[in-house]
Amino acid sequence: MTQEPILAIDSLSISFDTRRAEIPAVMDFSVSVQPGEAMGLVGESGCGKSTVALGIMRDLGRNGRIAGGTIRFKGRDMAEMSEAELRRIRGNEIAMIYQEPMASLNPAMKVGRQLMEVPMIHEGVTAEEARARALKMLDDVKLPDPARILDSYPHQLSGGQQQRIVIAMALMSKPALLILDEPTTALDVTVEAAIVELIRDLGRKYGTAMLFISHNLGLVLETCDRICVMYSGEAVETGTVAEVFDTMRHPYTQALFRAIPLPGADKTARPLQAIPGNFPLPHQRPPGCNFGPRCSYFEAGRCDAQAIPMQDVRPGHATRCLRAEEIDWTAEPEAEAETEARTPGKVVLSVEKLKKYYEAGANALFGGETQVVKANEALTFEARESETLAIVGESGCGKSTLAKMLMGLETATEGRILLDGREIQDLPVADRDGGLLGDLQMVFQNPFDTLNPSIPVGRQIIRALELFGYGASDAERRERMLTLLDLVKLPRDFAERMPRQLSGGQKQRVGIARAFAGGARIVVADEPVSALDVSVQAAVTDLLMEIQKREKTTLIFISHDLSLVRYLADRVLVMYLGHVVELGTVEEVFAPPYHPYTEALLSAVPIADTSVEKERIVLEGELPSATNPPPGCPFQTRCRWKAQVAGDRCATELPEMRRFGAHQIRCHLAPEVLTDMPPVLRHAAD
Amino acid sequence: MEPLSWGAIAARILLQFLPVWIALAATFGLSWVYRAKLGLYGKLFDNRIGLIGLFLTLFWVYTALAAGLFDWIATHDPLTAVSGMKNKVPGTPLRGAEDGDFPYYLLGGDGLARDVFSRMVAGSWIVVQIAPLATLFAFMAGITLGLPAGYFGGRLDSVLTFAANLILAFPVILLFYLLVTPEIVASGLPAYLSAGLFLLPLVFLGLLINARARTNPRRRWMLLAVMLLPLGWAYLSLISAQGSALDLLPAALDLFDVPGGILVVFVSVIFVNAPTVFRLTRGLTLDLKTRDYVAAAQTRGEGPWYIMLWEILPNARGPLIVDFCLRIGYTTILLGTLGFFGLGLPPDSPDWGTTINAGRKLLSIFPHPAIAPAVALLSLVLGLNLLADGLREESLKD
Ligand SMILES: Nc1ncnc2c1ncn2[C@@H]1O[C@H](COP(=O)(O)OP(=O)(O)O)[C@@H](O)[C@H]1O
Ligand code: SF4
Ligand code: SF4
Ligand SMILES: [Mg+2]
Repeated sequence: MTQEPILAIDSLSISFDTRRAEIPAVMDFSVSVQPGEAMGLVGESGCGKSTVALGIMRDLGRNGRIAGGTIRFKGRDMAEMSEAELRRIRGNEIAMIYQEPMASLNPAMKVGRQLMEVPMIHEGVTAEEARARALKMLDDVKLPDPARILDSYPHQLSGGQQQRIVIAMALMSKPALLILDEPTTALDVTVEAAIVELIRDLGRKYGTAMLFISHNLGLVLETCDRICVMYSGEAVETGTVAEVFDTMRHPYTQALFRAIPLPGADKTARPLQAIPGNFPLPHQRPPGCNFGPRCSYFEAGRCDAQAIPMQDVRPGHATRCLRAEEIDWTAEPEAEAETEARTPGKVVLSVEKLKKYYEAGANALFGGETQVVKANEALTFEARESETLAIVGESGCGKSTLAKMLMGLETATEGRILLDGREIQDLPVADRDGGLLGDLQMVFQNPFDTLNPSIPVGRQIIRALELFGYGASDAERRERMLTLLDLVKLPRDFAERMPRQLSGGQKQRVGIARAFAGGARIVVADEPVSALDVSVQAAVTDLLMEIQKREKTTLIFISHDLSLVRYLADRVLVMYLGHVVELGTVEEVFAPPYHPYTEALLSAVPIADTSVEKERIVLEGELPSATNPPPGCPFQTRCRWKAQVAGDRCATELPEMRRFGAHQIRCHLAPEVLTDMPPVLRHAAD
Repeated sequence: MEPLSWGAIAARILLQFLPVWIALAATFGLSWVYRAKLGLYGKLFDNRIGLIGLFLTLFWVYTALAAGLFDWIATHDPLTAVSGMKNKVPGTPLRGAEDGDFPYYLLGGDGLARDVFSRMVAGSWIVVQIAPLATLFAFMAGITLGLPAGYFGGRLDSVLTFAANLILAFPVILLFYLLVTPEIVASGLPAYLSAGLFLLPLVFLGLLINARARTNPRRRWMLLAVMLLPLGWAYLSLISAQGSALDLLPAALDLFDVPGGILVVFVSVIFVNAPTVFRLTRGLTLDLKTRDYVAAAQTRGEGPWYIMLWEILPNARGPLIVDFCLRIGYTTILLGTLGFFGLGLPPDSPDWGTTINAGRKLLSIFPHPAIAPAVALLSLVLGLNLLADGLREESLKD
């Protein structure tokens, strides 16, 4: 590649001045992006990815400044450009797409106007011309019915559609470089898959160079040509995606891959390996190698002696590790003591034809038209002692409603929930006794929300113990609280801390301790790790499984991350629009026969493994609304197998559960068709 | 004796405030040293606006304390007239001063020959006593109603919001006049109204304790008894007055009587402020009740009042504290407005509103009796506003 790069960043340093100290957010960062190339930037949150992007845009806010290095755009040093020139480049030649689509859209302006403004302002074309271009662009980003969408306001569109509009808007000015900062993190997997596919196709079609920022290695594999791994403000490894994924030469990259569940990962044979320790804050970086304190190859006296420079392993593949040549990169991680598999015991929880309809839309004072939201339709399943049952599905499919009914936060419209044979579906949480409350507990998704910010950590656990009627005296409860902190591997003096003094992973541990406080029989974990960084996810997941095993708890694990589900669950329940569409063991659900929706879900999950080949199935259309679900099969509006069912049965008749032993699939397709489906994931070697 | 020059007046006034300067220096010095441990208050020391606000506010608070508790700062009695000092300009020597008398009227004399400076200082004590307390009552009323409206929603919310809007739409001045109209006073309406409004803080406190100590019945009853019995007694003393519509307690048990004027002030302040506090609290509750820690509290079986008072309210404190500062300012102005209409406090009260009102008549000839309290009021309200701004800015920072 002798072409001149679109973007060349050389030893860039960026600092933020705060009142307390100067924070070096990015140090000695170099990267280049060739025309038409997609460059991936990965790393944990806070490592400086967004700061690099904002530095390129020269949009660092009042307290940020470029402390050193150069950024060249098309060969010209951006530091030497005038304000006017920078403004022209920012709107026109470099476009940026953020995680939150609404950050880039004006809520008070129709989508059409916002799109048309771009060429009208930058190129001075007429309104008709601009409208024609906008229509064409909407077609390019695969939005159905572009004319109607041009006439809508942003809030009338779904999150996925909004993000498509933002991409269309960015491409309207035909930029030479597109910067995408976690563009799909706020979206569902299936929507994410569609957007990623779109980004990749458009990149090819328009030849736009891209800088793709993400914390998800799988996504980078699917979209990018080259990758740059960042750690604590520095680039630690750069190279082509294939090279970095298959022959990584930095211990941090290796640790990242060992911390995420890959399709082959088995919870008993190869447990996830968390990266020990914590991410250093920018002003507390260790001397020498930033990764030193957490690196298993650390060598005192060498790694902490001086700053480590970036070195080439091969042309085009560089790493910031002194020992890259010495480490045996093929060595398997030391397998931890083989943990024996759990054997599920007797049935603890059974749910029969459970149904929940919400009434919405009526005005409390004056009445009015009520609408019925059909959140759950006739759910039937069982969960056994020491079993992990995963519930997967897109947001809005009714997972959380189910969790709320189990917890008693909502009562059922119809059907039964039996806990040890006792009916609890009509027992709101206010009427439950301490024992029952302690038996059924929940771990929440958002670590920043799960603890009350105004109450010390220990006090919050003690309060739960009080309500579960645990212990006779305050001293006894306090003792139990301390052992609970031990259980979740937090130091005992955390009891006195306020939640804001804890990191996300630590807060989630407290949340787990609180859930297990009353010796819970059933714990519902609603996306407990999805908001955590990969390196922390592994540790929290393993902790959850360990406690579950010890306490013989039934874990109901709600998640959209199918890789994780495959890693930790025993059985999987797939939901779509309030229905159970598939139920079976992990092995059954992750191999044919599939329900057509499960097949699409599996295909949507980004997998960070170059040896896995995926069948691409992109779901067209939007998730139907739960107030107005389609007749017949709930999935019929998006199903690619529909044509294989004779007659119009998919559109008229709700399919019965088809049984393959204990494995159940709600679909009209003939059993042979289902069993003959090709597998979605294949190892290249097979 | 010669009248003082302006420079000399300024110097003497500064000297007169010496105890306040010392207190301020001590406060700021200590707070600066320990600012890292003082949370939001400590962070104010990084914020120039907030610091100016704090300075102005504390200045008046310390002035009030020094004047009200120790009788410092004021040079003369605020209620006594000295013959020959009527409408005298600032710096006029005291006619017939004896040994031990302060020899000047630093800011001149008012229309009744009283010392303007001393009245301003004495007025601060009244303002500082009434404004925060009245505002606090307004907050308790607004919060006690706003929390359930936001938390339960539904019909309760609709009704309360409707009522709040109704009160907000009602002309305030008309309300004040109604409250002091003799027929209405005779009907006992203001007394019943205050009986109701003053009950809210007790309800608030009772709920707070009850929700927290529910798991331990013995402790619950003890705490409730310890807190509520004395407060209940105080409450009954407060609302019952011999010969009024609410003559509940025998005279022997009636601890104190609050002058009718002050009661009117309290009721007015609550009426004017509570609906807005209600709306603020309701909005915050609507937002905070969707947090996971609220769901966690529900799943461990907490009652609604525990969740509202211990899970939601503490986390709504930032915006509420800021609003509280602003509202003390409004209340101070409202006291002035009430005094201006001859409502509320007795006519010779040295509070700033009443004084400004009294000085208004001769404003074009002798402006100084009105200007001094006006500047005082202005600086306190400005201080509270700046303090609120600083707090808001700092609380948004993390
Ligand atoms: N405006 C700012 N002021 C001070 N520090 C900042 C600011 N913006 C970012 N930082 C710090 O810079 C570091 C990198 O942040 P960021 O670029 O957002 O990381 P990422 O995008 O990888 O999550 C973090 O430690 C963050 O706290
Ligand atoms: S330089 Fe040393 S501490 Fe840093 S990554 Fe390499 S081996 Fe680990
Ligand atoms: S029933 Fe029909 S529409 Fe539904 S999943 Fe099966 S094939 Fe698709
Ligand atoms: Mg970021």
